[in-house]
Amino acid sequence: METSRDQVIIDSFVSMADNLVADFDVVDLLTGLADRCVSVLGVSAVGVMFASPTEKLRPVASSSETMRVVELFELQAQEGPCLDAYRTGRQVGYERLLTGTNRWPRFTLVALEAGFETVLALPLRLRETVIGALNLFSTEENTMDDRDIMVAQGFADLATISVLQHGAAIESQRVNDQLTQALTSRIVIEQAKGVVAERAGIDIADAFTLLRNYARSNGLRLADVAQAVIDNALDLTVWAPPTTLEASRERSTRGDRP
Amino acid sequence: MPRLARIMAAVDEAQGDERSPTRLCEVATTVIGVAGAGVMLMSGDVPQGSLCTTNTVSNLMEQWQYTLGEGPCVDAYTLDRVVVEPDLAKPTTPRWLAFTPRALEIGVRAVFGFPLHEKTVRLGALNLYQDRPGALDAEQFANALVLADIIAHWVMDAQAAAPDGSIAEELDSYSDFHYVVQNAAGMVSVQLGVSVTESLVRIRASAFRENRLVKDLAEDIVSRRLRFS
Repeated sequence: METSRDQVIIDSFVSMADNLVADFDVVDLLTGLADRCVSVLGVSAVGVMFASPTEKLRPVASSSETMRVVELFELQAQEGPCLDAYRTGRQVGYERLLTGTNRWPRFTLVALEAGFETVLALPLRLRETVIGALNLFSTEENTMDDRDIMVAQGFADLATISVLQHGAAIESQRVNDQLTQALTSRIVIEQAKGVVAERAGIDIADAFTLLRNYARSNGLRLADVAQAVIDNALDLTVWAPPTTLEASRERSTRGDRP
Repeated sequence: MPRLARIMAAVDEAQGDERSPTRLCEVATTVIGVAGAGVMLMSGDVPQGSLCTTNTVSNLMEQWQYTLGEGPCVDAYTLDRVVVEPDLAKPTTPRWLAFTPRALEIGVRAVFGFPLHEKTVRLGALNLYQDRPGALDAEQFANALVLADIIAHWVMDAQAAAPDGSIAEELDSYSDFHYVVQNAAGMVSVQLGVSVTESLVRIRASAFRENRLVKDLAEDIVSRRLRFS
């Protein structure tokens, strides 16, 4: 009996560790974690709360979608074991609601009404970073021992690492995409300089002046003007040499810029 | 002292007040113990430019890879693994048929390409060369891996701080993105009445035929010493 339960725990860890490298959906991962806790640890309901960028806790995943449970998690944005676990970065409980410290009056009332008797909250934490909390509820007495709590913390740690890695990967992708886009935009501008230089019989620097002034006088982005030049969508007879350039320079020195 | 700490200390000491990729590259050559180093930035399977190089030879190596679209940096990036050629004159795997003779000509005898990545993102590659044949030993290899990571991180950090839509100031001021080639492409597109994409192909083909760096050819076009017709 013990061996097969250990095996289930091991399998759960391996499966979650796999998610560290695979492409995964955060909500799927956390829902899986919640379900795993219920089945492996024998608790009644599990929920995961995440901190938003403004540090407000909100429920992201739970083992049960019943209204009672959902309400219970939502309540914890203001008060409850999850909030405490998130703020302190420490385990809160394992506590019996009936005889507990009564530090969460409203939460306790709703939890008892929902039929829960005990509660535990674990921080989702990696060193100094706390991203949320894992909440476990039971309807029976004493369903979790210290070993169970350690296993729950293990699940929580694995989930935390996965989420942080995933977030960091997304951020890296975003920065790289930004660089690629910025470079592409710049390349188009450089190509447009060449086109204008050749059409107008001027050098690259003067071609840039023309492009920039055209963009300004027409309230357009330089990148868009450049793209239009490349796409042959702009009437380049406007760039005829050299009077246009002289006129352009005059306007610039007069301070005629929109 | 653990490897990363040791290397970071060397980097900090060498950089001093000047935080530049060139200094990073120079530290790489000292720490790893190679004749020269260069970093190529790539995206979409194509070399975009050179972040830094430590000497003329490494500069030429980057330029040739940019011109020919092949070489250890290119492979390290596209294959996303370390590429090693300890004896360029007698390679075990025949490859880089255009790049190799040109590299040998400038005194390169061994090349090593280390991909630059940050998480799932691939940025380019770190190129190391030796002026005599020989492989990197385990220590050098490990140091190179760490330095590739440090450089990748530097690039991402620099870009992350850039205003939206622009290339980070530090990246742009130190890198050579070969804009002159793009200027030339614009000019040639008008001269030949073709798209800029087609012009780039023509310019590259011309450079290859004449055994010239595409950058040199582009400079001739831009200064009007050369016209396409």
